[in-house]
Amino acid sequence: MRYLLAAAALAVLAATSTSAAPPRLTPAEHDATHAMFEHVIDIPTVIGRHNVPEMAQYVADQFKAAGFPAEDVHVMPYHTGSATQGEDDTAALIVRWRAEGTPKAKPILLMGHMDVVEAKPEDWSVDPFKMIEKDGYYYGRGSIDMKDGIVAITQAMIDLKKAGFKPKRDIVVLFTGDEETNGIGSKKGATEWLDLLGHPEYGLNADGGGGGFNPDGAPAGFTLQTAEKTYADYTFTVHNRGGHSSKPRKDNAIYSLAHALDKLEAYRFTPMMNETTRAYFDGRQKTEKGPLGDAMRRWLANPNDGEAADIIEASDSEVGLTRTRCVATRLFGGHANNALPQLAWARINCRIFPGVDPNAVKAELERIVSDPEVQVTREDDNVASLASPLRPDVTAAYTRAVQTLHPGSPVFPEMSTGASDARPFRVAGIPVYGANGGWITVPIDERAHGRDERLPVQSLYDDVVHWEMMLQDLAGK
Amino acid sequence: MKRAICLLFAAAVSTGAVAAVDPRTVPTQLPPAWQAKARAVFKQAIEIPSVHNRGQVPAVAKLLADQFRAAGIPDSDIHFMPYEALPGDQTEALIVRWRSPHATKKPMLILGHMDVVEAKRSDWKYDPFVFREEGGYFYGRGSSDMKNGDVGTTMAAVKLMSEGFKPDRDIIFFYSGDEETRGVGATLGSTKWRNLTDAEFGLNADGGCPSYDEQFRPLGCGISMAEKTFQTYFLTTHNPGGHSSRPRPDNAIYDLADALEKVRTYRFQPMQNEVTRAYFEERAKQEGNSPLGQEIRAWLANPNDGAAADAIEANPLEVGLTRTRCVATMLSGGHADNALPQSATATVNCRIFPGVQPPEVQAELQKLVGPNVEVKPDPEFIGVPTPASPLRPDVVAAVTAAIQKLDGPEMTVFPEMSTGASDGSFFRAQGIPVYDVDGSWGISPIDERAHGLDERIPVRAFYDDVVYWQMIYKALAG
Repeated sequence: MRYLLAAAALAVLAATSTSAAPPRLTPAEHDATHAMFEHVIDIPTVIGRHNVPEMAQYVADQFKAAGFPAEDVHVMPYHTGSATQGEDDTAALIVRWRAEGTPKAKPILLMGHMDVVEAKPEDWSVDPFKMIEKDGYYYGRGSIDMKDGIVAITQAMIDLKKAGFKPKRDIVVLFTGDEETNGIGSKKGATEWLDLLGHPEYGLNADGGGGGFNPDGAPAGFTLQTAEKTYADYTFTVHNRGGHSSKPRKDNAIYSLAHALDKLEAYRFTPMMNETTRAYFDGRQKTEKGPLGDAMRRWLANPNDGEAADIIEASDSEVGLTRTRCVATRLFGGHANNALPQLAWARINCRIFPGVDPNAVKAELERIVSDPEVQVTREDDNVASLASPLRPDVTAAYTRAVQTLHPGSPVFPEMSTGASDARPFRVAGIPVYGANGGWITVPIDERAHGRDERLPVQSLYDDVVHWEMMLQDLAGK
Repeated sequence: MKRAICLLFAAAVSTGAVAAVDPRTVPTQLPPAWQAKARAVFKQAIEIPSVHNRGQVPAVAKLLADQFRAAGIPDSDIHFMPYEALPGDQTEALIVRWRSPHATKKPMLILGHMDVVEAKRSDWKYDPFVFREEGGYFYGRGSSDMKNGDVGTTMAAVKLMSEGFKPDRDIIFFYSGDEETRGVGATLGSTKWRNLTDAEFGLNADGGCPSYDEQFRPLGCGISMAEKTFQTYFLTTHNPGGHSSRPRPDNAIYDLADALEKVRTYRFQPMQNEVTRAYFEERAKQEGNSPLGQEIRAWLANPNDGAAADAIEANPLEVGLTRTRCVATMLSGGHADNALPQSATATVNCRIFPGVQPPEVQAELQKLVGPNVEVKPDPEFIGVPTPASPLRPDVVAAVTAAIQKLDGPEMTVFPEMSTGASDGSFFRAQGIPVYDVDGSWGISPIDERAHGLDERIPVRAFYDDVVYWQMIYKALAG
């Protein structure tokens, strides 16, 4: 679940000045990247469709064809399932690129996920599972979330290997198959597959980070993701004795649910700030001159200024950064057209500010609804997420890659409002940084999970170079 | 679609003349040997889950046909009529003709349906498709809507045949297989299959007529002669959607919730017609000086007295009788837990007052919810308003005699408008008057569970219904 960059315009991380021309892909590398991207977009890796293993095998084959030894390329089939998110026989891909001789340090873990969110052809203007190139974009489900990152990491490793690069520490890849649903793959990665992954020192997640440009081409900045909100799902359920629809009653499960949803729609959680978001807003306010900038300055000066936080939260570019947010995402109710409903429920998806207990949010939802007819339940047992400490080596490598490819783009630390596979690793003591190099035009390309998801064509190729540079810096020295 | 049991406070409320005997404890008039036969067929019928799309209706048809065949109806007069209801739903109607050796009158048609509304095991206390007797009730989906009527009409005929009764007119039994969903069977039965079904009038076993209140006072028996038009609408909201970590100000689910809040509080214009006036005149007598009785009299005196109509409509006994009513019955929306919904849809089921055209109601709903909510009629079932059936003295006399023999003279019989729709509407539309007059009864409101949870019928009501139909056949075809 990728968070796409908030518009911003100031480097708050150490900028490294560089005047060197960015490396370029050869025509063969370019074509291989395109072919791999088209191939994986066209595989509908939605839960329940059993297609992730096919994609895992395809990506594994690309590694093997490039000379990665078969014994270090593992397709790991596993079952994913939960009562609410669906089931599938899926797979992860683990690749280990071993260091020459004695490794200098513990491995670096490169992360991503191969599954995508459901996309219904009738909701889209194009077939979501047939990649097309149009108006400077690649269209297709997964084009920014996140088959671009999968392809970029894979192609970067293939290119580096062909170019004779020899890592001085192991580079391990973990591409999971159920990040958008149950997250079983990353849990296994952080536990039973940890030996296979060589107990990495830290992780770089392509399902995070990334950059943006304003519609006029001005850089909005890139983010290095160091914290993320906790993902938690809740359900509002209403039961009723039902009956015949020719005799409507005052009590009706659907109306009770609709009323609860109206209350949720109007509610705002209390604003909160942490070190990452404070640094982020401090950077943002320096160039944000208008009312939004004023609100940021007011809020930084007085964290109890809830009105200022509300103004920030209402901005398209800052949604979710000032507090816990919950939103209704799914609805179900009734059993026949001509019967009063016996059951109605709504799924409520929450993104909880780091450090807040999801059980406390459940209690808050109960207070918001304050209707004994509406039962509030949790759909997972997720625990509050933790932040990863900023590492100078990762920060420097990320900043150099970004500023080589996109001179003038600022780099920010970021709290992601999404959740990702990083969480189980952070909980296990392995810091994870969302460090992808892809970019989009904000806000018009922010379509992850939505309709007509798309990626600027050049972003795909920039991302390959981005990962090549990152790996050279972090594993080549 | 069974109409809910009609509710009526009998005159006894004011006179206090009726002894409060629990009708469930009164012995049935059906002999024990026939109780066992009827119960065995009922059990089999209930345990066939003849919900749409499950392909089980033909099994019910076979079960009923087997009873007729065993009683002596020749195969040439038993017709299995397969057809498609909802797209892909292969179902079947059963048409049986019990011939008169010396017919002197046009045939009489007996209507019923073999399909039932969906019932989910997880919603019910017990498996809805396992027949169960407990506490004086038979439980199971279809126990009151309307496998009771299927078995009652069939077993009454079987019993009369065994006793050598010869009708003086053909009695045609028509059991459809999609009354609860689409009504294709009744459409075909009233048109394409008319050579098999043509009759002077029809009696529909879909819906018990008498009822009692919880103090066991008889509430009367309404013969349904007119019915509201059934029409379902879909209310849909659309949105670009997006990632749920970044909620937008506009949201398809919230927009739909707002629309539903409007539907919840909206009230259509009150209306009266001849049947409902007759009904309310009877009710006014029974209610006497109760607040409800006064409101009814005020509304009868001045049909423009909207406040009186609202007060009547708000009474649980009279819901749906004063106007068009629409209610939300189903919901769906969104495509993933972690994505903002791109669309959300509510099913709104309307029961439209006779004479009002469904497109007028659609326009009214559209105006109510505003232009950002799409309002469309269910393309699977376009409601057609139907005329009221004329009051036939022979039918009223036969029903009254049978009901009062079983339920006592305090159980008054009167015309009413059904708030539900049934197969009868298709035949009414094609010129065959239909009267909804099953003889089974229940305690109101605790037994009103058609389409709902833990559907049930009092054991005695089921058995006495066989006796009721015997009396009806003898009175109208003997």
